[in-house]
Amino acid sequence: MMRARGWLAALPMLTLLAAGFAAPIAIVAVTSLMPPRTFSLTGALALSNYLAAFTEGYWRPLMWSALGALATTAICLVLAWPTANALMRLGGRVATLVAILIALPIFISESVRLFGLSLFLMPGGGILAGTLNELFGIRIGSILNTRLAALIGLVYIHFPFVLFPLMLGLGLVPRDQVEAARDLGASGWQLFREIEAPLAAPGAAIGAMLCFVLALGANAEAAILGGRAVTVATQAIEQRFSYAQDWPQGAALTMLLVLITALVVIPLLRRVDLDRLIGR
Amino acid sequence: MTAGQDGRAFLVLDGLTRRFSGRPAVDGVSLSIPEGEFFTIVGPSGSGKSTLIRMLAGLERPDAGRILLRGADITAMPANRRPTCMVFQSLALFSHRSVGENIAFALKMRGVDAATRRARALELMELVRLPADYLDRPVTQCSGGERQRVALARALASDPEILFFDEPLSAIDYRLRKILEMEMKDLHARTGKTFLYITHSLEEAMVMSDRIAIMRAGRIVQIGPPREIYARPNSRFVAEFMGEVNVFAVRGGRIEGLDRPAAAQSGFLILRPEALRPLGPADHADVSFPARIETGYLLGSRSQLHLSALGRRLVAELPGAAAAELRPGQEGRWGFDLADAVVTPE
Repeated sequence: MMRARGWLAALPMLTLLAAGFAAPIAIVAVTSLMPPRTFSLTGALALSNYLAAFTEGYWRPLMWSALGALATTAICLVLAWPTANALMRLGGRVATLVAILIALPIFISESVRLFGLSLFLMPGGGILAGTLNELFGIRIGSILNTRLAALIGLVYIHFPFVLFPLMLGLGLVPRDQVEAARDLGASGWQLFREIEAPLAAPGAAIGAMLCFVLALGANAEAAILGGRAVTVATQAIEQRFSYAQDWPQGAALTMLLVLITALVVIPLLRRVDLDRLIGR
Repeated sequence: MTAGQDGRAFLVLDGLTRRFSGRPAVDGVSLSIPEGEFFTIVGPSGSGKSTLIRMLAGLERPDAGRILLRGADITAMPANRRPTCMVFQSLALFSHRSVGENIAFALKMRGVDAATRRARALELMELVRLPADYLDRPVTQCSGGERQRVALARALASDPEILFFDEPLSAIDYRLRKILEMEMKDLHARTGKTFLYITHSLEEAMVMSDRIAIMRAGRIVQIGPPREIYARPNSRFVAEFMGEVNVFAVRGGRIEGLDRPAAAQSGFLILRPEALRPLGPADHADVSFPARIETGYLLGSRSQLHLSALGRRLVAELPGAAAAELRPGQEGRWGFDLADAVVTPE
């Protein structure tokens, strides 16, 4: 009886997931197995598109996306850990204010923020270069339209997605255990390695996962800040679908991206105790 | 053990003060504790005893005053460098580590190798009477008493100069607490370490301590051996800490309600319940009066009686045998000797 009720309650969500998530993925999966440049779902199944993904240079955008996502996640974790710790220690009104200031930009379109950053980095008359030149007579070049600029954009956009889950995770570290570790002779680094890191791991893992998945699928950073310096996976996929009119190839690249995501997310989710994070 | 003024001063607190938003939680506490003593600070919640011990462990910074260990000033030394160790009220066991890993934590922090750590953990487990097969068990699977022992062993592992205890037994049921009190005293004797213990229970302090300090509103109000604290409380506050007492006000040099001269101009006459006794026709006492037994409770080997006398209520305690024939409603003569009462100035 209770079981039946549970299924009934889950029905709307299940319908939504089936129609909005499972079905499109299934269609993309089948498309990826069709012969190149066809638009039908009934051709003979073949792995040629996957083969082409590795022989015809499509692995490069996939690699750049994966590397970019990894680097972004690592940098965000390194930056967010001390920030989260400081905010937790600060507490009170100031911490809330800082947290709001960090969260607020999420409500502004990503492209607008990235164009802002690009104005800042622009050579010659850009905000950074122009100010340095005007005030101090220092002339600098610009990192705009490089992979570094794209990476800075990725970090800038995805930082809050790591910070807030991490703060949640650090909130799980009992104060008395931190004090006990100190009392037992743990240095700052030992405290991090022995107590904070393992106990805050669920929050860190959720934040890292969010960041990795979002950064893997990001393309605005590369397009607006990276210029033509780098082609990311989503851009390559878009080109296959629109300009090249090669849907099966685009679908195969999409499936590879899904595969990379699954390889990272599934093992992590298995290890993270989500119930602990939401306080059950 | 005697007071620490004999030149063997081991741990010295000198005018230690800590304020929270202007209000002093610990207010100029000065103490001297000799090596090897079991010293207990007793106070009600909010008396500042926890803040005091946290300053000694280095988890809280004093606003004023100094802490000296073997003559060296450790006031500014961070917690992880102090040769002291604390057993927390919550025990603060590392929930993601096994019993053995918890116990050997301090050794790991010092870079001791795994095999040595394991051997030392097993030694300490034997010392606190934990079975050896608990070594790899998660601490989350241990019972309250076992967790207590893990916390003790963990604190002893770093071979600290002093062990601090912040009410570690307060959340434990009565029977187990009594056993652990004895074990704690026994452990103190066997290790020869200096123990500084904090509790809100004077009864717990009496069982274990060499000396007791009573703390109230951030200050130490009395220090002495348990016997002295019990027999010669210097204030009504200290006297009432131990349990029920009979208090008579002293005003203008006379004890109110008894109409007798007192040893002091003003203050209180404190009479422990066991100082009151029923008087037979031939018995004599310094102070005697008619009384009526209202209620009686059996406290195991003793009986507690509530008397109605002198226009008020008095509490008396008698050995079980002496109270056998006394019943509620009985009237008779009761009394006490002034030598058994204490006059306190406040």
